[in-house]
Amino acid sequence: MQELTSAAETTVRTGSGAQMRHGDHIDTIEDVDAVFRAQRRLSFTYGAVFFAVTLVIPAGSAWWKTWHAVEIWGGFTLNYLVVSLLYYLFLWTFSYSYIKKADALDESLSHTADETAAKTAVSSAEGEWRG
Amino acid sequence: MGELNVIAIVMVVALTACTVGLAIFVRRFTRTTAGFYLAGRKVGIIANASAISGGYLSAASFLGVAAAVYASGLDGVWFAAGFAGGFIVVVLFIASALRRFGEYTVADFAYGRFGSDRIRLVTVVMVLATSLFYMAPQMYGAGTTWTVLVGAGILGLTPYQTGVVIASLIIMFYVMVGGMKGTTLNQIFQFWWLWTAMFLVVAFAFTAGDFNYPKGLAEAANEPHLDVKTLTVAELTAEDGALLKAAEGHMSQDAFAEVQAVVEAGDPEATASVLLPARNKLHTLRDAFFNEPGHRYSGLDQFSMVLALVLGTAGLPHILNRYYTNQSGSAARRSTFWVLVFIGTFYILAPIAGLAGKLIIDNAWRAGKAPANAGYVDGLLLNSDAVMPTLAKILGGEWLMGAVAAGAFAAMFSTTAGLLIAAASAVGHDVYEKYINPDADERRRVFVGKVSVLFFAVLALVIGLGIPAVGLDKAYPALIAMMVTWAFSLSAGAFVPMLLTGIWWKQTTERGAIAGMIVGGGGSVFFIAMNILEQLGHLGTEGRLFNLGSLTFPTLFTFPAALLTIIIVSKLDGQLPKNVDEIWMRIHGTASERHRRDLGLDKLGTMVKSSGK
Repeated sequence: MQELTSAAETTVRTGSGAQMRHGDHIDTIEDVDAVFRAQRRLSFTYGAVFFAVTLVIPAGSAWWKTWHAVEIWGGFTLNYLVVSLLYYLFLWTFSYSYIKKADALDESLSHTADETAAKTAVSSAEGEWRG
Repeated sequence: MGELNVIAIVMVVALTACTVGLAIFVRRFTRTTAGFYLAGRKVGIIANASAISGGYLSAASFLGVAAAVYASGLDGVWFAAGFAGGFIVVVLFIASALRRFGEYTVADFAYGRFGSDRIRLVTVVMVLATSLFYMAPQMYGAGTTWTVLVGAGILGLTPYQTGVVIASLIIMFYVMVGGMKGTTLNQIFQFWWLWTAMFLVVAFAFTAGDFNYPKGLAEAANEPHLDVKTLTVAELTAEDGALLKAAEGHMSQDAFAEVQAVVEAGDPEATASVLLPARNKLHTLRDAFFNEPGHRYSGLDQFSMVLALVLGTAGLPHILNRYYTNQSGSAARRSTFWVLVFIGTFYILAPIAGLAGKLIIDNAWRAGKAPANAGYVDGLLLNSDAVMPTLAKILGGEWLMGAVAAGAFAAMFSTTAGLLIAAASAVGHDVYEKYINPDADERRRVFVGKVSVLFFAVLALVIGLGIPAVGLDKAYPALIAMMVTWAFSLSAGAFVPMLLTGIWWKQTTERGAIAGMIVGGGGSVFFIAMNILEQLGHLGTEGRLFNLGSLTFPTLFTFPAALLTIIIVSKLDGQLPKNVDEIWMRIHGTASERHRRDLGLDKLGTMVKSSGK
């Protein structure tokens, strides 16, 4: 087992891969990859929705006359109303929803990581006792 | 000598004194590099969100968005929506990972992620280029506001030059004495000042100005849109005077008589400002109307501008620097949410001010009550970037104009300060501390940071003075917003593909990232330069070069090109850093945050109720 860094964090490399320890908490590369994959799924799903909604607006400007040239409320066209007002409501609700989900994901994954670390500690202690 | 607005000037001076006072007050906290660059990394969520908003809401937002709406209608409103939407990309893909990685600067991220000096230096060059692109419009905003506010110069300088010089000196001073801690406090203070100023202008428009949003929009869109053009006599009289005849049909008799007097004087190089019907660049068979797209941007530009704005935010160095001051990845996300709330409300107000300006300034001009320092052609402002202070003066007299002018300077100060810190840390921290003198003591490092601030402030000053000299102010109708969007384009091309792949694709290699940054950053600079040359009339009116220059925003091409370059070169290269697993754990691991939570260092919690341990 080779120590790679020190100070606030300790990184160790084992036969199966690297671990990073902060106090009692350990990140293994397997756990981190799981966190990464779950976070990537969440972020890119939300990202796809965000870019679809955002790019639909100029697409409507270019190709949908009812969107860009028909007044629906005073001088507001649908296009003007969305870009000047409604888009912000979308941004707020969208970001709030994402942050809630991302925090919940962090929370559940951190418990999983702690449980994995606890199991690892127990099994290594048992190994030492048996040894 | 123009019209001197004494009360407004006193308000600007008072705000400036507050700004400098704050910088001096926090001076004792900036004895270390962490203190100078990152405010000791101890800034709460709302405070950090306010500071990010203060750094983000530059002259482009405070003066430029209203100006762009005033000049271009719906095409201008996009600046507001895009500036806000950019933070979604930040929160989805960048904020949390960047904070967990825990480095000082974007260049540090590149170095830490890819492990080479080469990439750090390439990043530094791109950071400096982006910062300069962003600083230039702040300086232009200072000169424009000074012109409307004071209308006079000092020491033989024009009013514009005086504004640029004075703003530069003040910014230089307070960043040098305050560092990031100074800018954090100042950015918070300045953000709320300019939010209030924008709110007051809109509130006064609805009350004192009898403005009604849907009816006002209908009124503005009642007639085809007109552009103010400053042309030479030679241009006006070319092709049997086609432009002159077109202008005659859209101008009042008195205003056109002034133009004709210039033409009849016979000097082909003399200039006159005229009103001409705007061409619809998106739907070429329709007239351009205020509430429809196409006044400024063609089909490609409509998409490219949206992409530049929403992607560019995620790579702005002075914004990313602030993410390192959050306490955790979760806190970084929450900060971004509050930024969206703060700036979103601001960006709803700014286009209202632009539209109100279009109607109220015209009415005031016709009644002979428009402020004298701003130039007009038949009730339309010669320089649309002056719409905010002009509108404020009409609606609320010198007091409101003072609040707006102080807000404008606040916007310039806070953004330029953040940019100077980013530029200074690129040179002082990324180059000096790493390569030139790694053994330098703390005092020496802070000193080098301050010298870097001085150098870049002088550079920004020179660029600010040079803008009217090359005719950029005449080439673009709302120059402040346009120049800032160039910085966004560069950021979207140079940094965002590198950050996205660096965070989300483990197979990204150092060579891939460098190649992508050069393609994205270099391509952006090339297209922007071509567009400037085209707008200044140096590329003719047709041909391959003209076509290359006709794209206002390059992001539609540069972003995918950079992304593709990173992927292809990384696949071909295949040389990952030896410690790629450790790097991955630093970006996506949570042990550090769990540990900090155990110790009570992360008091900021999450948006879901913790189940506890």
